[in-house]
Amino acid sequence: MATLEHDWFPQPLPENVSIGQRSWLYSTFAFRHFHSRQASGVRIGNDSGVYNGSFFDLGPQGEVEIGNFCTLVGAIICSNRRIVIHDYVFIAHEVTLADDAFGRPFAAVSVEPAGTDGRAAIHPAIEIGENAWIGARAILLAGARIGAGSVVGAAAVVDFAVPPNSVVAGNPARIVASGP
Amino acid sequence: MSDKVFDDIVGSWDYTTLPPNVRVGQGCWFERRGSFARLKSVQDPGLIIGDRVQVFTWTTFNIEPTGRVEIGDDSILVGPVFMCAGRINVGRRVILSYNVTIADSDFHPLDPQERRLDAMANAPFGDRSLRPHVISRPVVIGDDVHVGIGAIILKGVTIGHAARIGAGAVVSRDVPAGARVEGNPARPLPPQGP
Repeated sequence: MATLEHDWFPQPLPENVSIGQRSWLYSTFAFRHFHSRQASGVRIGNDSGVYNGSFFDLGPQGEVEIGNFCTLVGAIICSNRRIVIHDYVFIAHEVTLADDAFGRPFAAVSVEPAGTDGRAAIHPAIEIGENAWIGARAILLAGARIGAGSVVGAAAVVDFAVPPNSVVAGNPARIVASGP
Repeated sequence: MSDKVFDDIVGSWDYTTLPPNVRVGQGCWFERRGSFARLKSVQDPGLIIGDRVQVFTWTTFNIEPTGRVEIGDDSILVGPVFMCAGRINVGRRVILSYNVTIADSDFHPLDPQERRLDAMANAPFGDRSLRPHVISRPVVIGDDVHVGIGAIILKGVTIGHAARIGAGAVVSRDVPAGARVEGNPARPLPPQGP
């Protein structure tokens, strides 16, 4: 079983987790509440950093793909669906990605979601486009599709599609600048 | 990592080692011992936790000597930070999601002159007995309320039964039973159909 060389938490990496070359994961503590049964539960690309305080609180159908050259300073990802983070994405402190506003670790969900067939959805519940920047304490909920090159302001709450090269901010969030 | 330190963060520590003014119901699960490290209440009880309450790693009970927090049966505390100088009451079957803050006081004076005195009294070697008086007003959260990720609930707020507090909402006024509020400042949304 694979382990992290620098790890302080006495747990191997879950078998359905893969970490690319020259990438960094702070600890297997990130999988304290990990229940994904997908073939690929978490896939981290090359040259990406997942730092202290990040958590993958995934349910059985949860699946997270992180691209290359991404930085997650300490995001909590709470999902029983598919989440895709493309290359060069920067996610600042205390950001949460969740299926709904009342996200909680799967151990605290008493009922299996209806209509589940054990496979994750093809379409991601949340998608963060290449080179997007997610500000501190922002909250992304299902339906959030952040276009490539866009910026989500600090503490914004987003559950809708944001076009590429825009700036979205506030709670409720609104698009405050649009690029070319 | 030694077994004991490991136990302290995965819920397998001995809950009977909590201070005697903490009342714990049946079937509870407390992930991290450190959630209770800032419990300074001298009230008896200072913290009451009902049956089958789950407390996840991010939760912090920051209870001043004068404070008392009560949590109802079957509630799920994912990551609330309780800042309590007086009373915070949480009902049954309540969900408090990640990064929620509930404060029953501002903890510091609004008046700038008094705040300077407060700063001096709070210095590392300051005299805490010189801290200016600050008010606290109870926070009451009804049964079946769900509080969204990152929401902040401020002093004196009463949230009625089954209300929904949106992610990131800042709540400084009462929320009626069954209402949905969102935003900063929190505002009501039109009622949702079935």
